[in-house]
Amino acid sequence: MRVLSDFFSFGISRTKKRKVLSCIGRNWALLFLILMLMLFSILGKHFFGLRNFSNILLAVTTLLLLASGETFVIISGGIDLSIGFIMGFVCVTSAIIMRDLHAAGFPQAISILAGSSIGILLGLIPGFINGVLITKLRVPPFIATLGMWGIANGLAWRLCEGFPIAFLPSKARDIGMAYIAYYSPKKGFSLFDRPVLTERADILNLMKIIPLPVLLIAILLVIFAFILSKRKFGQHTYAIGGKVDAAIRAGVNVPWHLIKVYVISSFFAACAGLLLVFKLNMGIHTQYTSSYELFAIAAVVIGGASLMGGKGSIWGTVIGVLLIGTLNNGLMMMGLPIFYRYIAIGCILIVAVLIDQLFPELVYKE
Amino acid sequence: MMDNKNLSKILIGIAGRWTLIFLALEIIFFSIFGTNYFSLKNLQNILLASTTVLLLATGETFVIITGGIDLSVGFMVGFSGVICAKVMVTLQAAGASQAVAISSGIIAALLLGLLPGLVNGLLVAKLRVPPFIATFGMLGIAYGFAEIICNNVPIMGLPTSVGSIGHGYLIYWLPGKVFAFLQKPENLTRLELQNLVPIIPNVTVITAIVIGIFAFILARTKFGQHTYAIGGSMDAAERAGINVKRHLIKVYMISSFFASLAGVTYVLRFITGRAPAGSARLLDAVVAVVIGGASLYGGTGTILGTVIGALIIGALETGLVNLGIPTYNLYIAVGCILIFAVLVDQFFPELVRKE
Repeated sequence: MRVLSDFFSFGISRTKKRKVLSCIGRNWALLFLILMLMLFSILGKHFFGLRNFSNILLAVTTLLLLASGETFVIISGGIDLSIGFIMGFVCVTSAIIMRDLHAAGFPQAISILAGSSIGILLGLIPGFINGVLITKLRVPPFIATLGMWGIANGLAWRLCEGFPIAFLPSKARDIGMAYIAYYSPKKGFSLFDRPVLTERADILNLMKIIPLPVLLIAILLVIFAFILSKRKFGQHTYAIGGKVDAAIRAGVNVPWHLIKVYVISSFFAACAGLLLVFKLNMGIHTQYTSSYELFAIAAVVIGGASLMGGKGSIWGTVIGVLLIGTLNNGLMMMGLPIFYRYIAIGCILIVAVLIDQLFPELVYKE
Repeated sequence: MMDNKNLSKILIGIAGRWTLIFLALEIIFFSIFGTNYFSLKNLQNILLASTTVLLLATGETFVIITGGIDLSVGFMVGFSGVICAKVMVTLQAAGASQAVAISSGIIAALLLGLLPGLVNGLLVAKLRVPPFIATFGMLGIAYGFAEIICNNVPIMGLPTSVGSIGHGYLIYWLPGKVFAFLQKPENLTRLELQNLVPIIPNVTVITAIVIGIFAFILARTKFGQHTYAIGGSMDAAERAGINVKRHLIKVYMISSFFASLAGVTYVLRFITGRAPAGSARLLDAVVAVVIGGASLYGGTGTILGTVIGALIIGALETGLVNLGIPTYNLYIAVGCILIFAVLVDQFFPELVRKE
């Protein structure tokens, strides 16, 4: 530590030095992300470009939703292992409803709306049960959500019988694959409406700006980031994670608050499931879905949260998710086999915690 | 008429052993409704099918008793399995005899398999990384390396004797005639071969011996006592003069040893090395430990409890297949049993299994 601080002293006063150092320590994930973006831009072909950045954003949307919900749970000092399969469960359920209503002859809009809203509502139930188990029956979060992990997995599997659910209304895919703005050298700008082009060269030159799902998720995240950092609800969440006893004495209704937190986590997982339906135009549930919650937890921790509770932020989580997404994409664009990313993410995760440990005075404060 | 005290004693006795009763009920249920469920062959199959979970859960028990968790064990199975298979195939191609190839494959896998445990232990004990994060990071690293070693395809073409070890039995018994150990008696007619009763799979023998040794270590030696002490209160353990850091490193290495052993048995049974081999079994292992009465907060848990927990899952899995019920119901059932297990502990605090 001493050596390090001497190294960083460029004749600057001690307090200033500390400030700079703590700024670096607090924002190391952001710095790392920027460094990685520069590295991949130099090394990888076609990495730096609007199309690829859109792809990165689109690819991380699922993880972003799951990790944001998990952030609330982790700040409260718990953990939610069930989100990956809740996502699969909602994905399959809403796809089935959409397909059946569509097949029964309902208009596309109605079947999509019904499928989405019923899917989200059903998706809240596992979170509610998790919350009740954890608060009223005092089951440790790890166990309660692991049990829900199994139950949601079994139910989702049972509903889809292991097969993807296809033949959904075609509008669903139109929404999922839409972009906010299109720019074609020939036809100029158009909002939300993909210009009809006939020439191959024109289609290739069409610039697509910001995917629609990314915009929707950004709005959702801003709302919840606001709730977490500026509202009483968020303060109480940090208070519970910091010290449950103190929170109780301060008059927070802890059980009810925790139930809400687990419902939020479940809600985000449900949104992620719905997003998959729109993106793929299919309902899919596989056993690999369960690796999502682990990556979500990794992103939250890389973003500066502690599994002991009491710290973390949506902003940090977003950076953590972008870090994982950029890493995946960058390694892929460099032509490395996909399994290198597991090693890379494992190492970054451990480094993230080590930085917290080695610079105790830099601990992220809310 | 029984008085209240006796009644509550009996109740406590029942609730304290509910896992055992549950296992017995499960076997009775499937024996009645299934076909040939209660037969020597099927009971041995249950043991065989639970091998991976049994091994992983035993290692995990040590870690959970210290108050930690090891998430890397699932992918460690693939890691050591791939190493084992790769060494065997390479040595065989280099012209080594089958015995040499097989034994050096197994030894290499078991030795290299200790490495991730050592790293986990160092991270947790020396650098104070939370166990969840350290072992989760190791999960990614072990999986990545496993895929690199096997180049993303299962390793095939292992020495032929591997199968005869993995599929072999300890005793072969032809009713009224022959009684042979380890090897099938020779010169049998077709009919005699059909009637041959194989007893106790080799893999189960290995599993039972290793689990037995470590159950003894946990329950009867100083090492075991220290493990419980650390899980109960780390500060108190330190003040009592236990070298906590060193002990934790050893515990994570034990967990990783059991995972490598599971990897080796996987290779012996399936005659192939696959990177994602045991990944799905990680959570089953944690579930088995918790059903067996351990608390994730540390300080409680026994190997016997864990073994019963693992057998509950194994018997259920085999039973559902036997009844022709699709496997996804297993996940629902296991999820419910898990929550039920913790609720029993919550509602009967005086019943918590004590060491």
